[in-house]
Amino acid sequence: MTEILRLRNLHKSFGPLEVLKGIDLAVAQGEVIVLIGASGSGKSTLLRCINFMEIPTSGRVFLHGTPVGRQTSSGVSYVERELTQIRARIGMVFQHFNLFPHMTALQNVMEGPRTVLKCSPDECRNRADNQLRKVGLEWKADAYPSQLSGGQQQRVAIARALAMEPEIMLFDEVTSALDPELVGEVLITMKELADEGMTMLIVTHELGFAYSVADRVLFLADGNVLEQGSPPEVLTYPKEEATKNFLRGHSSFRLPEPQLD
Amino acid sequence: MGYEWDFLVVLRDFDLLLLGLVNTLKVTVLALVLGVPIGLALALLRLYGNLVVRAPVGLLIEFLRTTPPIAQLFWFFFALPILTGIEIDPFRASILTFALQSSAFFAEVFRGGIVSIDTGQWEASKALGMSRNESLRRIILPQAVKRMIPAFLERAIELMKTTTLVSTISYADLLYQANSIAQSTYRSLEVFSIAAAMYFLVIFACSMIVRYIEARLAIASEAAH
Amino acid sequence: MGYQFDFSAVIGNWKLLLIGLQNSIILGATCLVLGLSLGLIVGGMRYMRAPIVNWPATAFVEVFRNTPVLVQIMWFFFAFPIISPVEINAFTAASLGLTLNTAAFSAEIFRAGIRSVEKGQWEAGKAIGMTYIQQLRRIVLPQAIRRMLPAFMNRAVELMKMTSLASVIAYGELMHKAKQISTLEFNPIEMYTVVALIFFALIFPLALFVQRFELKLKDSG
Repeated sequence: MTEILRLRNLHKSFGPLEVLKGIDLAVAQGEVIVLIGASGSGKSTLLRCINFMEIPTSGRVFLHGTPVGRQTSSGVSYVERELTQIRARIGMVFQHFNLFPHMTALQNVMEGPRTVLKCSPDECRNRADNQLRKVGLEWKADAYPSQLSGGQQQRVAIARALAMEPEIMLFDEVTSALDPELVGEVLITMKELADEGMTMLIVTHELGFAYSVADRVLFLADGNVLEQGSPPEVLTYPKEEATKNFLRGHSSFRLPEPQLD
Repeated sequence: MGYEWDFLVVLRDFDLLLLGLVNTLKVTVLALVLGVPIGLALALLRLYGNLVVRAPVGLLIEFLRTTPPIAQLFWFFFALPILTGIEIDPFRASILTFALQSSAFFAEVFRGGIVSIDTGQWEASKALGMSRNESLRRIILPQAVKRMIPAFLERAIELMKTTTLVSTISYADLLYQANSIAQSTYRSLEVFSIAAAMYFLVIFACSMIVRYIEARLAIASEAAH
Repeated sequence: MGYQFDFSAVIGNWKLLLIGLQNSIILGATCLVLGLSLGLIVGGMRYMRAPIVNWPATAFVEVFRNTPVLVQIMWFFFAFPIISPVEINAFTAASLGLTLNTAAFSAEIFRAGIRSVEKGQWEAGKAIGMTYIQQLRRIVLPQAIRRMLPAFMNRAVELMKMTSLASVIAYGELMHKAKQISTLEFNPIEMYTVVALIFFALIFPLALFVQRFELKLKDSG
């Protein structure tokens, strides 16, 4: 197993509030990791520190064994230029899609390759076509986000991230803002991606999905990884009292019945 | 009322009034062309400049917005030439004043438009690996500009109204021409009424266009939701 | 720039400036009170359906919003006296122009404010048996006024700036006094710089207050 990502003693504070209290994590190539935990446990912040949407207060992030940033006497210093390059290599999908409303689905997907990777127009078009086909929306290429359903918008957002050909994909509660009947199509797209061997870190409340897709489940509480292991270990036979309490809140796994349109 | 109206006297000098109107439009358009980019620059400096820049730029914007334009015009026309030793004619002083004056208002329109864009848009472009400039140029400004259009056009109309001040430093705009015709013909009632009507026609037409565009934009954004 | 600033002539004339400032404030306050009151009436007229009420109000608003205020002042000073039965001095002409201008703008603020209150509020009032006037006075206006306040205060800011235009027809407000002093003392740089600063000191606190107030309104929904 080759290691693709490693977090070492990662801390993150917002003012006086410490949200991450020293996270250590190694992620293997192709591994699918699901982060669960109550709101405020730090799981979204952890995800956002991986691609430096938030700058960690201390600790290091390694990509392919190479540390990001430079160690100085007063801590780790980061150069914005390096961070944009890191972000270009790590895809992220948001809870509220954040599609660009002034661009069509196709233009949304082409935007990254065009502006960041400086691909040729043909190359951009190629990548966008492929990714839209992959999420099953090539027929909506010319639609604007406002003309798409929430589920379709989220699939376009996934295609937009994939068009950068990222090494890792981060999913931040990507189905939380969706109507229940639209959740399935997005989960199917993610499952297919996992089956193809994409390295993924997923924050979700869909425990049934977590059970079926994860190689490893991490339970976060109060800025620490409290418990981790295979889906049955964490979701079915949790050891920690906090994990049990959390799971009791989700009285049963809701296994979505996926339906393609 | 025993007053006998006589518009003929005025109509004889109508070409002078038209010339004045052209000059009014000239000042307005030039001030706009210069004021909008300066406004954008000021807005970006106020939003993203470092602390040393931000405070003075903010003060400059507030100063230009809260002092009467006539005071600014007199300063540029009467005071600046002495300070710099460079002669400045009424036309240049007018352009300089109104470009700067309107840029302060445009800066606030730009700033309002930019901050009105959902932070998710910044996040999404950042996550794709875009720099701040790229995000601004490709993602934020195109959306912001669309929202700013009505405020922009209203500002442009305000600007046209404010340019009447140039008459006070003897630049031959519509109001100045009206004033001089009134003095030579002793028909100030007719002359000022006609000049007012000319202003009204031009500005009202612009207002109608603005309202039409606003309505169209409102429909477009309704349809988008 | 080897220019030697000399503010002694400005300071020497402080009494004149003070009179000018006083006149500016008198003109501004007069027009604000009259303009807002008239604007309320015109706004109400614009809100009514009957053409005989609505049309004149609409015409008034459009004419005064779509002509430059300086043209209005000049018209009242140079043109209006010819047909006016009473004498028009500079103060009256400036007041007429600024008041009517302010009235036209505030009429629109007033109308938009009432329109911004959702229909359900009227209906709720109606449903408990209120008359139209009661609905307006008890339910709609209290909500609308709060939303209109920043716009009204902005109007006051604009009005204070506009009082400087009265200098064009030689009303002795601050700008006019500055012009006089700078001609007598040959000190346009000092004089116009100081006068701009006085206006800034006068108007900026008001503008700042409006901004704060708008933020507060936004926060409280």
